[in-house]
Amino acid sequence: MKAYTITRDNLGAWLDALARDYTLIAPVREEETVSLFKPVSGFAEINLGYTNSTVSPKGWLFPQTEEMFFFSTGDGQITLADAQTPGPAVLFGLRPCDIKGILVLDPVFNGAYQDCYYQKRRQNTILVGLSCTRVERHCFCTSMGGGPTDGGGADLLLTEMDGGYGLEALTSRGEELIHRYQDYFIPDRDNRVTAAREELGKKLAGQFTRAVDTTGVKEFLDENFELPYWGELARRCLGCGICTYICPTCHCFDIFDQSPDGESGVRSRCWDSCMFSHFTRMAGGHNPRPTKKERVRNRFLHKLKYHRDRYNLDGCVGCGRCVTRCPVNIDIRQIIADLQEVARHE
Amino acid sequence: MSNCHCRNPLKPYPATIVKIIDETPDVKTFQMVFDDPSVMESFRQKPGQVAQLSVFGVGEATISITSSPTRKGILEFSVKKVGMLTGALHRLEPGSKVGIRGPYGNHFPYEVMKGKDLLFIGGGIGLAPLRALIDFVLAEENRGDYGKVDIIYGARSMDDLCFKYDILDRWPKMPGTTVYTTIDRAEPGWEGHVGFVPAYLEEINPSPENKYAITCGPPIMIKFVLQALEKMGFSDDQVVTTLELKMKCGIGKCGRCNIGSKYVCLDGPVFYLSQLKQLPPEF
Ligand SMILES: Cc1cc2nc3c(=O)[nH]c(=O)nc-3n(C[C@H](O)[C@H](O)[C@H](O)COP(=O)(O)OP(=O)(O)OC[C@H]3O[C@@H](n4cnc5c(N)ncnc54)[C@H](O)[C@@H]3O)c2cc1C
Ligand code: SF4
Ligand code: SF4
Ligand code: FES
Repeated sequence: MKAYTITRDNLGAWLDALARDYTLIAPVREEETVSLFKPVSGFAEINLGYTNSTVSPKGWLFPQTEEMFFFSTGDGQITLADAQTPGPAVLFGLRPCDIKGILVLDPVFNGAYQDCYYQKRRQNTILVGLSCTRVERHCFCTSMGGGPTDGGGADLLLTEMDGGYGLEALTSRGEELIHRYQDYFIPDRDNRVTAAREELGKKLAGQFTRAVDTTGVKEFLDENFELPYWGELARRCLGCGICTYICPTCHCFDIFDQSPDGESGVRSRCWDSCMFSHFTRMAGGHNPRPTKKERVRNRFLHKLKYHRDRYNLDGCVGCGRCVTRCPVNIDIRQIIADLQEVARHE
Repeated sequence: MSNCHCRNPLKPYPATIVKIIDETPDVKTFQMVFDDPSVMESFRQKPGQVAQLSVFGVGEATISITSSPTRKGILEFSVKKVGMLTGALHRLEPGSKVGIRGPYGNHFPYEVMKGKDLLFIGGGIGLAPLRALIDFVLAEENRGDYGKVDIIYGARSMDDLCFKYDILDRWPKMPGTTVYTTIDRAEPGWEGHVGFVPAYLEEINPSPENKYAITCGPPIMIKFVLQALEKMGFSDDQVVTTLELKMKCGIGKCGRCNIGSKYVCLDGPVFYLSQLKQLPPEF
């Protein structure tokens, strides 16, 4: 695949053009400490200096709340009308861990029953990655098989380099997008872009404050469901669910109807969390995961074992968001290390 | 990535309630027909599968399809009133519009069960999914494929027996079929057996030879039934049961119904006892 360079000025102009032709979703700084992905009207709103958005960008493909269809009753008939799905979009500025997060969600929404809502957005969205330029204290993507300049899964990967940016086309869809706006780009004939990105990757690899070794953790969990360890962890967990909302790979949802007049309304879905007690509570009160111990265990087993069992992919991409945001400092890196430790003493 | 041309699996098909049968004070059986005849024609459930029933404006609930696929042109659901959706369903009348999507889940291994005797053990509303298989097996076109059929069924009281027309009238008249009915406590007007299902099962003491046991009911009943079956010498591969876990999407997306790495909506609700023993104890 081909690489190009683009000047800073042209990058701004290109993004303005993209915002005119597509729905452009990009990282925006909302307040000093919160960064989010939102539809933008042009380059001026985009924050390229962020490292990790507070909430993962999965919400473009799998919105926090999403209308599924409208229903109405009249003349004793039920009419169902599909909610509108957005047209062509560019999801711009995805960090490598978040691109990987999308690859973790893909098989969930695919399969024998295709999730049309996710699939339509996914097919209509071009993914543009953005290599990291620094490593945050809580990042551990390299421990989960990723890396700060690994754009795998994106259509295009943008990397900051001397005098501007490099842009690598990783898919034919990415190549087509560049072709459409070719005036902004200069073909990179001597592999400078790839070399610069690889160099950056090497430099950043040395900046991770903490690496974890996941070897054998899944195999240990295969054999050990009951561990006193989960109880210890659960005593600290508040059950607030923040970890699941900001995670790029969590996909649990609830479905609900709204019908103010009882005759017409909308069925929607919204993010839900296995950290909440009602998540598995059944009519009549029986709850198979009645305490935080079972719920904490479920979350970490999902990340480290269940997703692998079902899809052969880790359920965690090492973005570190849940580590940063957990009010009581529950740290999945520590959990992996602790499980290694418990396994050694078994 | 290929384009998604599938029909949206989360969108139900409109259907009409054509008949409602009062089973017990809190259970009703709803006969439903899809509004679009081609949907009715192409809806091919297997015994043991479930559907998501919608009352628009209220929501959805997972309900077993209790009618056998051998019965064409109609679907039956038996619903116990326990909450929002089931309460709303109970308030509907014949002619009301609902939504149905499915069928979901795996099914009873009726192919594997060919040539065997079948022992059904049900409690309360738990007879609903079993009934789909019982009627499938007893249907003329399939009856020759299976051996003797024994049905043990119990409920708290006479009033709480579901499908009385089947258990007291229709099934006992079928060839090669024996129905054992019990209620928890004696009542005026009841001449049948009195006592809990697991105890009755031990009294009847069926031989495990060439037989499958299929059970569904309240968790506590299932627990003691499984123990009794084990005592009688049934192997874990001869016992089949269904699991109930909270469900929403029914299609393996919403992440709600997992037991370990399995999803009840995709990998269940039917499990062999041997499979159940492999699962983490979260049900
Ligand atoms: C595989 C399977 C087969 C079932 N078959 C039948 C049947 O044939 N007849 C019958 O009466 N009931 C059946 N149930 C139970 C039925 O799904 C619940 O009783 C019903 O969902 C409760 O909904 P509600 O809105 O009335 O209750 P609420 O308490 O208002 O429940 C709110 C929501 O919680 C969920 N929920 C609560 N309890 C359960 C539960 N036990 N199982 C699944 N989801 C639940 C539903 O999504 C529901 O929308 C079955 C459940 C499963 C999992
Ligand atoms: S963010 Fe921390 S406290 Fe909150 S639910 Fe997650 S692990 Fe528990
Ligand atoms: S589990 Fe935590 S570190 Fe892993 S992907 Fe989710 S938010 Fe990121
Ligand atoms: S009901 Fe949604 S995953 Fe099973």
